[in-house]
Amino acid sequence: MIAVGVDAGSRAIKIVLMDSDTRSILATGLVKQGVNSDELTSHLLDCLLNECALNRDDIGYVVATGYARNRISIADTTITEITCHACGVHHVVPDARTVVEIGGQDSKFLHLDPTGAVHDFAMNDRCAAGTGRFLEVVSERLGVGLEDLGQMSARSSNPAVISSMCIVFAETEIIGLLSAGAAPEDIVAGVQNAIVTRVASMAGRSITPPVVFTGGVALVPGMSQALERLIGQSVTVAPNPQMTGALGAAILASKQA
Amino acid sequence: MSKCSGDKQVKAKNCDPCSPPSVDCCSSAVTTEQNDSPTLWFENMIDNCYDYAIDAKSNSRPIVGIMCEYAPRELIMAAGGVPVCLCGGSAKTIPAAEDYLPANLCPLIKSTFGYHITKTNPFLEMADLVVAETTCDGKKKMFELMAETKAVHLMELPQKQDDSEAFEHWVTEIHKLKAELETRFDVQITPEKIREASRIMNRERNLRRGLAGLMKADAPPLTGRQLLNFKSIISGIPTDLEKYEEAAEILRSHSRNGDMSSRVRVLLTGVPVVHGAERVVDIIEESGGLIVCMENCTGLKPILEDVDLNAADPIRALAKKYFHIHCAVMTRNTRRIDYLRALTAEYRAECVIDLVWQACVTYDIESYQVRRLAEQELHVPYLRIETDYSPSDSARIAVRVEALFETLRSSYRTGQPCRK
Repeated sequence: MIAVGVDAGSRAIKIVLMDSDTRSILATGLVKQGVNSDELTSHLLDCLLNECALNRDDIGYVVATGYARNRISIADTTITEITCHACGVHHVVPDARTVVEIGGQDSKFLHLDPTGAVHDFAMNDRCAAGTGRFLEVVSERLGVGLEDLGQMSARSSNPAVISSMCIVFAETEIIGLLSAGAAPEDIVAGVQNAIVTRVASMAGRSITPPVVFTGGVALVPGMSQALERLIGQSVTVAPNPQMTGALGAAILASKQA
Repeated sequence: MSKCSGDKQVKAKNCDPCSPPSVDCCSSAVTTEQNDSPTLWFENMIDNCYDYAIDAKSNSRPIVGIMCEYAPRELIMAAGGVPVCLCGGSAKTIPAAEDYLPANLCPLIKSTFGYHITKTNPFLEMADLVVAETTCDGKKKMFELMAETKAVHLMELPQKQDDSEAFEHWVTEIHKLKAELETRFDVQITPEKIREASRIMNRERNLRRGLAGLMKADAPPLTGRQLLNFKSIISGIPTDLEKYEEAAEILRSHSRNGDMSSRVRVLLTGVPVVHGAERVVDIIEESGGLIVCMENCTGLKPILEDVDLNAADPIRALAKKYFHIHCAVMTRNTRRIDYLRALTAEYRAECVIDLVWQACVTYDIESYQVRRLAEQELHVPYLRIETDYSPSDSARIAVRVEALFETLRSSYRTGQPCRK
């Protein structure tokens, strides 16, 4: 039988197909989030099954996670992103003790015990300031692609101070900085610092190494370096960081299948 | 989140248009209901109170609004008045309040004041007097604005709970309220009248403690949300007291509800969950939790202690009972920590959830001490939820609550202590 993990996030839907017995990953897939997450999920799942010459009868168990987890009709159960990311990261980096996850609209700080179980966690509340959405707003405003942000911030010699905790106000602040002649490089570096500062403030004072950075924002160049500078510890970017939630969901599904 | 509350017709139409009393059709715990059942009676609580207040008013009894558990209800009752709680639980009245009050203020204060501005709380409209306290700065300054168009008597609440001079000041404040009530309503408040009112309130508190105590069972006969419904915004209504008693009898004879024993036992502390603002309670219980103990002003906090009926001076006895309420405005508020320690053990709570209304500075800061108690001394997981009356963060709150429960369950599964 196969186990399926679905991570229906705010910006993308991610699916991992796993062999329940061997725990080997059979396929992974990603589609941009849209209006109907359930349909998008079903379509992506069928594509992945097709790639592997499998069909729905081969599925043993489906776990859905992510903000749209309750809308996924093929799911047998739902488990929160917190538990799924912890499980997924523990699978790929077994000695991880701290997980920083930054997604489209959420950011989380997880403290794992040596067995990989969640010991403690913190998560942003209403505000999306320390999340991927913040970076998107900035890249749109500066007219640069998300993939170019890392190169830009690397060129910064004097990162701007972005004091605002709110995306909307931060955008206003960026407009102010631009009109005052600040270099776009410095603004990008300032925004990246602001995001990691915001996320790190959730962790409190103690951050147990090794630290693993995951979620879609870990793919944005420059972010892991900004995080390293801020917390003064080396940070490992999880392999395939957008997938750790779905991977954790698949592993948890394989325990049921 | 009470799925069927939209169909409910509320007699007191002006009272709370956006949050009519909930009808718990989806509950599995209390099932068999006759027309006169206590559950149905308290579902109509707002209507019952409205009828009672109208009747009292027509018999020339004054209606006295209160907005805090420090208001000594017994004194109002001894003056022949009807004490009615005016705390607002609706998000709908907040925009009107924000024309006067800052946006970054506790939603309870804004909601209450919004009802005043929009004249949509019939109890506030019919109140002959509002008894206010300097409980927190937000309330204190809001009452100044309310006093421009409403009769308000302000009591100055001292905040050093273990200081004898602070207590004497509180006694003086209670004497001043007595004088105000006597003059305004042309009555004489005798010691015997205070004792009689205290007897009624002690009985009400005792009955409510009895109901709350049912949650100590392995498989309690009701949910925390259902327990929260067993309350009244007017104290001392004779039928309420009968219904509390009846409810306890019915619920005690209920068979064990297996579903309840598999839920995560939660102690909810922090700010009050007033009528209409039960969103977080619903999220916790819809995510697999069971609130076995509510240590806040709408739960056990104001009913843990009674008034000493044998005290020589009934005013001092009243002052003592009320001054002991362990609100976060008190400093140092060690009573809260002591009660949390005792209640966590008594109700066998597996985790502590601390609810803080946005901009409630005292509870916000005190959450540090509550977290420390839970994590370092009681070794139970702690989750702090800071929110207001707007539902926009419900999904995020649910994620955190569910993750808390998943963490607890996984530590059970592997047989590890949840936190050391």
